[in-house]
Amino acid sequence: MSAKLWAIVKREYIERVRTKAFVIGTILGPLMMAAMMIVPALAARSKSKPLRVAVVDATGELREAVETALREARVDGRARFDVQPGGAIAPETAEVQLKQAVLQKNIDGYLALPADAVATASASYFGRNVTNRIDLRTMERTVSAVLVSRRLASAGLDPTKVKDMTRELDMKTIRLSEQGEREDQGAATILALILLMILYASILIWGQAVLTSVIEEKTSRVVEVMAAGVPSTTLLLGKMLGVGSAGLTQFLAWALSLLGVSLAAAGGIGSFSMPEITPLMLVSFVLFFLLGFLFYAALYAAVGASVNTVQEAQGLAFPIMLPIILAMVSFPAVLEAPEGPLAVTVSMIPGMSPLIMFLRIVVLTPPLWQIALSIALLVLGILAVVWIAARVYRVGILMYGKRPTFPEIVRWVRHG
Amino acid sequence: MNDNALVLKGIRKAFAGHVAVKDFSLEVPRHSVFGLLGPNGAGKTTTLRMVMDILGPDAGTIEILGQPADHAARDRIGYMPEERGLYPRMVLEEQLVFMAAIKGVPEKEALKRLGPWLERLSLADWRKRKTNELSKGMQQKAQFIATVLHQPEVLIVDEPMSGLDPVGMDVMREAMLDLRRAGTTIVLSSHQMDTVERLCDRVVLINRGEKILDGAVSEVKARYGKNTVALAFEGDGSFIESLPGVAKVTDFGQYLEVRLHDGQDAQPLLREAAARLRLRRFEIVEPSLHDIFVETVTSHGEEAA
Repeated sequence: MSAKLWAIVKREYIERVRTKAFVIGTILGPLMMAAMMIVPALAARSKSKPLRVAVVDATGELREAVETALREARVDGRARFDVQPGGAIAPETAEVQLKQAVLQKNIDGYLALPADAVATASASYFGRNVTNRIDLRTMERTVSAVLVSRRLASAGLDPTKVKDMTRELDMKTIRLSEQGEREDQGAATILALILLMILYASILIWGQAVLTSVIEEKTSRVVEVMAAGVPSTTLLLGKMLGVGSAGLTQFLAWALSLLGVSLAAAGGIGSFSMPEITPLMLVSFVLFFLLGFLFYAALYAAVGASVNTVQEAQGLAFPIMLPIILAMVSFPAVLEAPEGPLAVTVSMIPGMSPLIMFLRIVVLTPPLWQIALSIALLVLGILAVVWIAARVYRVGILMYGKRPTFPEIVRWVRHG
Repeated sequence: MNDNALVLKGIRKAFAGHVAVKDFSLEVPRHSVFGLLGPNGAGKTTTLRMVMDILGPDAGTIEILGQPADHAARDRIGYMPEERGLYPRMVLEEQLVFMAAIKGVPEKEALKRLGPWLERLSLADWRKRKTNELSKGMQQKAQFIATVLHQPEVLIVDEPMSGLDPVGMDVMREAMLDLRRAGTTIVLSSHQMDTVERLCDRVVLINRGEKILDGAVSEVKARYGKNTVALAFEGDGSFIESLPGVAKVTDFGQYLEVRLHDGQDAQPLLREAAARLRLRRFEIVEPSLHDIFVETVTSHGEEAA
């Protein structure tokens, strides 16, 4: 690397790393990610109290069975229902009393079984909170099972035997890859999406940093001094590499602190399983960040060179963000069929491939030739975009005043 | 060995709609102080930008210090554009070291050279301050240091004095003269005719992208002849303008400069003025560059129109 390019990379890097935004982002990033991973785990594990419920039975014969079933109902191995007495008196008066009790928060709710509960398979739950879906689903399944066994019994069948014979399938999903087998509980998808989001946001955020940097050089008029010292391609390249290194530095800081957090958390949360992050994932994350960043940074630099203010840049910036936005929108389809024609095509298009090829690598390792082709096409795309950007940049950085129209920019590229 | 610091041959540059520089040729001798003059929009800045490869010429060739212009040759030039530019959030010292680095000076060497310059331009106390804390005049001086820190053999400065107070102007002029004594060729683009007149030994005048005057300052002045009279007096001098033989009167407030038609003797003017005014001064002088500039540009404008 020439001394000039190195000087520019260094200056740009130091200037980025010294900003408040960088320091704050570096500290807050891992905190937010840790929160995203740990809070749901803690919440799921939090010992929220079992529901205090009572049962009102108009059939006169189900109460005991239902109460027993509710007491025995388990979610994650813990009882969810604390069955209250008080349904022994006549249903009508009991309901009035229980409504009072619910409103006075003595109990959380009560279950009312109508006289024809067995035949119609109907029941009502009254409670202050009816959005606790997991608990209510459990209650529904539990009571339903009681009603079903009643019906089976009256048809002369042995409920335990029937239950045994109609046992539901318990299907585990095991991700098979060259690295071995691993039971997957949806964590792989979530991890893929989190990494995808970070990749997407980072490419755009650091790309925009290049845009801002170019505009600042124009505003402070330092660009003419720079252009007199170094070729515009060197200037553009130095800027992109400097800002990109700042981005990588932030990732490194994040990765290290996340490692610390997960090591510390491993003791604290116990069995909480972090989905496996393979070296291939890490390498492809860094690689596709760098390539995606270079692609978009060059485009952003061209936009920055064509305008005078960040506000003016908005209108021109949207079209260049379009590929990455489309890539982001297409991720559900890619997840559904990672080897399908859509996924393969999109993962080859430069500008979309940084996100989609990365996603495919995370969910299942695509054939090596596809990865290689995707990277090769992306590198070609970067070269083309840098070539265009350097030409726009060379003309644009000295243009002040009126924002150029799109045809004008095309002319700059052609005559450079 | 070629004795020219810069040679431009048949340079041409057109922008959408108009020609900024047409078939412009120029030779700047080594060790001279060369004035590049011209009204706003004449093509001075465009020409300098082409020398620095910020713009590419449509036609023509440029030679720097006897070599075809390339990046290595350009590293031997220091260029201070009219639009000053420093990174606002950078500390002065880092900024100057960086500017030297992009001209190929190692950091240690730049730091060594920096001290004397900061002392000389009274910026030593500001060494560790951010650029945006500096006053406009200080930034101007900082920019000058950034331009000369790599010890260029050719110094190109666009309006070096603008924004400076008289003390600053003196410091700047002395700094440039010192560089010249040390062998630096200086190309000065300016509107300030008195600066140019005092500093430069050669000038070129551009108007509408064309060269309309070129030569040593003394030679250019001699070409215009000794037909300018400086007059200082008490009383109403408005009649002078309508006297026969008077081509043009320039009022400087405290005195007048009267330009006579070619070959016109000054004696009739002296007699008439002495008869009607209390004269304090009557002197036949060389025309000022200012006058030559205005006259040449005006007549060129009329020809072109």
